[in-house]
Amino acid sequence: MRIEVTVNGAERQLEVEPRLLLVDLLRDRLHLTGTHLGCEDGKCGACTISLDGQPVKSCMVLAAQVDGGEIVTVEGLADGVALSPLQRAFQEHHALQCGFCTPGFLIAARGLLERNPDPTEEEVRRGLAGNLCRCTGYTNIVRAVRAAAEAMRGEATRPSPEAMGVTQP
Amino acid sequence: MSARAEPTGWVGRSLPRRQDPRLLTGRGRYAGDLLAHGMLHCAILRSPHAHARISRIDVSRARAMPGVVEVLTGREAKELSRPLPPTIDIGMKLNQSYAIAVDRVRYQGEPVAAVAALDPYVAEDALEAIEVEYEPLPALTSVEAALAPGAPLLYEEWGDNIELAYEMRTGDVEAALASADVVVEARVPHHRYTGAPLECRAVLAEYDQLSGELTVQASTQAPHQCRTLLAEGLGLPEQRVRVVAHDVGGGFGTKLQVDGEMIPCLLAIKTGRPVKWVESRRENLLSGVHSRDYVWDFRAGFTRDGRLTGLHARLTGDVGCDGTNRSSGVGALLVAAFYVPGAYKLPVLHVQVTGVVTNKAPYGAYRGYGKDIATYGIERLMEIAARRLHLPSDELRRRNFIQPDEYPFTTVTGPIHDSGDFPQLLSRAQELIGMEAFRRRQEEARRQGRHLGVGFSCMLEPSGAAVPNCIFNGYEPAQVRVTPEGGVILLTGLQDIGQGVETTLAQVVADELTLRPDDIKVVFGDTEAVPYGLGVWSSRGASYGVSAAVAAARRVKEKVLRAGANLLEVSPEDVELRAGAVQVKGSPERRLTLAEIGRAVYLWPGPYAVLPGEEPSLEASAYWTAPIVRWVPDQVGTLSIYTTHPTACFAAVVEVDVETGKVRLERMVVVHDCGTLINPMVVEGQISGGTVQGVAGALGEELAYDEHGNLLNLGFLDYLAPTAADLPPIEVEHLVFPSPFTALGSKGMGEGGAIGAPAAVVNAVEDALRPLGVTISEIPLTPERVLAAIEAAGGRS
Repeated sequence: MRIEVTVNGAERQLEVEPRLLLVDLLRDRLHLTGTHLGCEDGKCGACTISLDGQPVKSCMVLAAQVDGGEIVTVEGLADGVALSPLQRAFQEHHALQCGFCTPGFLIAARGLLERNPDPTEEEVRRGLAGNLCRCTGYTNIVRAVRAAAEAMRGEATRPSPEAMGVTQP
Repeated sequence: MSARAEPTGWVGRSLPRRQDPRLLTGRGRYAGDLLAHGMLHCAILRSPHAHARISRIDVSRARAMPGVVEVLTGREAKELSRPLPPTIDIGMKLNQSYAIAVDRVRYQGEPVAAVAALDPYVAEDALEAIEVEYEPLPALTSVEAALAPGAPLLYEEWGDNIELAYEMRTGDVEAALASADVVVEARVPHHRYTGAPLECRAVLAEYDQLSGELTVQASTQAPHQCRTLLAEGLGLPEQRVRVVAHDVGGGFGTKLQVDGEMIPCLLAIKTGRPVKWVESRRENLLSGVHSRDYVWDFRAGFTRDGRLTGLHARLTGDVGCDGTNRSSGVGALLVAAFYVPGAYKLPVLHVQVTGVVTNKAPYGAYRGYGKDIATYGIERLMEIAARRLHLPSDELRRRNFIQPDEYPFTTVTGPIHDSGDFPQLLSRAQELIGMEAFRRRQEEARRQGRHLGVGFSCMLEPSGAAVPNCIFNGYEPAQVRVTPEGGVILLTGLQDIGQGVETTLAQVVADELTLRPDDIKVVFGDTEAVPYGLGVWSSRGASYGVSAAVAAARRVKEKVLRAGANLLEVSPEDVELRAGAVQVKGSPERRLTLAEIGRAVYLWPGPYAVLPGEEPSLEASAYWTAPIVRWVPDQVGTLSIYTTHPTACFAAVVEVDVETGKVRLERMVVVHDCGTLINPMVVEGQISGGTVQGVAGALGEELAYDEHGNLLNLGFLDYLAPTAADLPPIEVEHLVFPSPFTALGSKGMGEGGAIGAPAAVVNAVEDALRPLGVTISEIPLTPERVLAAIEAAGGRS
């Protein structure tokens, strides 16, 4: 079947099998391999992407379901080689080790900060409970997200929480 | 000696990691991301039975499916390959097994056939079209069943189900126990769990049928050993096999396994086309290596005032179907035997180790490799003994610690502890917890019916193993090359799996050559680029890897100084290296930069003028071996196979809900010593991550089998890896006791969190439930187990 999606700002028309998972569409067909697959049952969150502004686990969605949708993957977060404030905070606070979970965490954290630009430690921990990291013990991920929130609040002159997301292409 | 000094060079600074920008932007290259022209996708059919004969296998329907290119059964694969080679061979029994089972399966999830197809979905479809008839055999799912008289044998040629039997007696323990004031008996069991890296295993195998060259890009911690094992298992000349590892999505010891990795290689050899295998989470939990699953039986003698007089320790491990060929897991039990004295001065030890095979998944390395077994055992024993002796457990620990002025300290089993200060680690951890205030809060909470507890664990993390007859051997190469324009390339046998060797090794070499880390490129992960090296495991990077890099850099430095002296027409003794330039001592205006020297040596004018009589290069190699390794046992069998001994004290604060059985970790404090810190931020990241893996082992992660040998945890829905919401921040403080045995005093680290945390958590839960008289035995401490323990102690509060 035929679908139309916008991926990281580019419109795509694609012929897909009805059973094709969104994560496989992104990785195998569009070669956006930054989105990773860690469990296939919606638990680990490595495959988290943004669909119409919401973090979504792309292993739990069929490609056919995103017809007309707007997708942002980790490849769409930086502005060229300039990292977004959230990405910068992840590097500065050593919030990634092997990096396999990182794209999912970035997308989930971006969604969290759009909903809540000034989360407490507890709110960050609960807000990221849909993602697993096996390397960091989460200590530095939480630090990085809170530091990014602070940096983004400092930068933001725009009033609405929706506008507090990371740099968009 | 203890507090951390301000760094004078690059070593000691928390530099951000070089690899981060690519990983943060989705540009990492994990093996599962790779593509090749004409690539096929591999899917593996796995046994639903834990133990069965394969009476019939019919792949004809699968073979006929559109899009299916090749199907391999175990018998066909056997024709193309050899048995899986052993990875360790030190007194254990070896088995003969193949990457795809031949005629018989010995664990649930063992491969029985494999498909290569044009599309991964089609490959999965084809598995369903393969018909296999099994004759189920009785499944051995416990050590007791496997050791029972008349038990079915996993490997008939062995005559029993014992893969490893080992014993060491350093003296007359029975006499020591007989004359002890108090003998404490304790049984300390630990369940099976594993690292479960977020990236499962993945391989892209490419074979050129004309040249016979196999290139394997894999998610591995040890590219060179992977190459050797693949070449041996596939019967290929090793010089025709190349293994490349790019970004690796975590390992924790589990990616030292080479069994399933053979299968895409076999399909590539058979078809002549590239074949990619990306393991699913279910496959990883079923057939990736498992760890722990042991029980200690202790009899410990103490004087009335709490001094250890002798220890009899029996360690029995369930090593699943195999702890030698698919990974070296069984060796962990030996490490545990050598290190069971832990942080304490033990006069005499009798230790007996039995590694028993059952119909469970293979036994492999996982963050700790037996050091976890030793620390968990002795730290639980100390806690249990303290209660018997009516002593506070910190006091009991203090009375038995190796003292700071006794280093280097040789233990009763032979290891030489390089440096440390356990009394200070424990005191500092208690200070950070605020013991007096905590005890008041605990009392107050108890009056309100709430149960808080604090628990400690003194961790010993022997690092940098040198195991004879094993892929975990003890050397590491490094090569430093100065380019004609004065840049530096470092080749290392280490592999990055998330630690940051691109950054930390650059810091080390930058200091040696008075450059900036950005001037140094670190190359690793390609067996055709770097010398035969041993990869990353045993927290060996900062002992072996760093010391080799320092040695190679110092050799290059000597050559640079000679070339510079020749060009400046002074004697080599009269020059020094400063800020990346050779300058005449006392005349800093007479200097040549590394770029000027590089250019002069290689090309303009060249070596006859600049380095007459020497090799025309600014390159040097070095291999580092540990000075304290002793492989020849003395008359009682003692050995020294670990280089350094990082230490730590873990302190956990928990609250236990006695109605629901839920344990909440409130705080985890780690006071840690790994000698000289190279990049503190990286070290702290390792401690936090390792600690959480240890906490997870104590509280939730478990690989459980039912009585038929069915694994009950087939995904993260029931393998309970913790999330951020389950945890507090891990609080880390460093004390620095440099090792005298390594180039920079760094000890290596990484495993310690998983080694030390479990006992702290369990001891804390026991402290919380003290008013109820609860003793913890079985773990992980899931709500059900906590409630059962409360029940067993006589009910709720």
